[in-house]
Amino acid sequence: MPEAPRSGVIHDLGYRRYDGPRDGTATIARTLFVTGLRHAYGLGRSGRSKVMPFLLLGMSLLPAAVVVGFVVLTGLRSLPVSYAAYTNQTQLLVSLFAASQAPVLFSRDLRHRSIVLYLARPLPATVFALVRWASLAVAMWLFTALPTVLLYLGAMLAGLDKSDQTTDALKALVLQAGLAALIAGVTGLISSVSLRRGFAVVGSVMALIVLSGVVTAVQNIASAEGEDPASVGVGLVSPWSLHNGLANAWGAGLDTPAPVDGAWVPAYVLVALLLIGGCLLGLVARFRKVGTR
Amino acid sequence: MNATIAKLALQALLGRRRFFLLLAFPVLLVGLVALVTALTDGEAAFELLPGLGYPLVLPLVAILAASSVLGPEVDDGSIVYLLAKPVNRYAVAFSKWLVALAATLAAGSLPILLAALLTGDAGRAWALFVGAVVAGTAYSALFLAISAVTRHAVIASLMFVLIWESLLGNLFTGIAWLSIGQWGLRVGHELSDQLPDPASLPWAIGASLVVTVVGVWFAGDRLRSFTLRGED
Repeated sequence: MPEAPRSGVIHDLGYRRYDGPRDGTATIARTLFVTGLRHAYGLGRSGRSKVMPFLLLGMSLLPAAVVVGFVVLTGLRSLPVSYAAYTNQTQLLVSLFAASQAPVLFSRDLRHRSIVLYLARPLPATVFALVRWASLAVAMWLFTALPTVLLYLGAMLAGLDKSDQTTDALKALVLQAGLAALIAGVTGLISSVSLRRGFAVVGSVMALIVLSGVVTAVQNIASAEGEDPASVGVGLVSPWSLHNGLANAWGAGLDTPAPVDGAWVPAYVLVALLLIGGCLLGLVARFRKVGTR
Repeated sequence: MNATIAKLALQALLGRRRFFLLLAFPVLLVGLVALVTALTDGEAAFELLPGLGYPLVLPLVAILAASSVLGPEVDDGSIVYLLAKPVNRYAVAFSKWLVALAATLAAGSLPILLAALLTGDAGRAWALFVGAVVAGTAYSALFLAISAVTRHAVIASLMFVLIWESLLGNLFTGIAWLSIGQWGLRVGHELSDQLPDPASLPWAIGASLVVTVVGVWFAGDRLRSFTLRGED
């Protein structure tokens, strides 16, 4: 019997070969994205890893439900807190969610070296890093957007002004998308460099919560001293103050120690974009380096 | 107390990047307070300490110290080799706690004293330092106990500090009775009236002692019946 020349290299054990259609990189990337998004909320993982994300999500939804109940019962004509301000007031929860879930997406593959298995498939390290970032960013965005949607639905049911509420809610959602991209970049970079979960978490908390506390304190002191430009300038440093400054400039109902206006607005946008870009470059560089080892 | 285990814990704590992360907090705090003091005045700068240094930097240093002496070993499972040695488990917990405590006091409480001295008024600086020592002691014992219970010790400890003590503590004054940071402030209040006086003094001292002793004992107890679990 004539034997056909074998085309396989190592996996070919002589069984019948698969010659149906093969999905390309796009499908792999999409699957990886969906899996990453589910893993960020502990879906498809053990029961114990669902506790933390859903506990934090519940805690950030609870005040929104209380606010809606308050508005409906007392017949207020406006929400006592704007959508963007609500996100800012729950910043501890949002930051903790990012700090606890970024290591899930960025540290585990590197720590256990399962990254080599991913990169052995036709998926470049660059795409892997970007898809992981996109998963975390969308997870973060959902985390901040859900309370906004709840508040908006409550406002609609309570019969508040439709066009005002819709504009404010949409502004808040856009700002949250930017915030999510920033936070996902920063925490992702930290957890891909520091592989021990504990240190990645502490590092992320430093970059988000401690830095934001420092910036807010310095901003308040500077504006109390009458140094408004200094107060606005310091806000360029941390993700949260960037979000708050842009929300203030856009009139999304959020007060900063000094108003952000004039040439500061493009500066804020530019710094935010540069920060996201820098984090992505760092992530890509990190995963390419790991992938070639 | 076992000198060898303490020495190993100290090496784990001071190893490479961890040390720099631990060092970053005091440098950041003292530098910021010095900068604000130079630019404005001591009063404005002192506000940073009860607002930022005491409720945020001190517990973070304690979390980092407590989870560094125990966390990595639990994380990679190498703690079984330590536990296989014929050493009393309470002595293991106590030795590790002493190292975590020393690190918390050196990198958490001491910078608070230095920063407060920079702002002038030595009386309130020493009062805040005493509070920070009391709180740092109780924090390190509590976080060591948490590290012995769960792999998610850092997140669990952070939730206690950020959500229970900071977020809810600011909304409900009654939480001062169940907040380590507030107990420390109450003890410090005896030395300087500029600190707030939540809860009562005997309660603050008693509760801090109980948390410290029970925390270290509980960590030893968890090590006594330690089981390894897989990644989750």
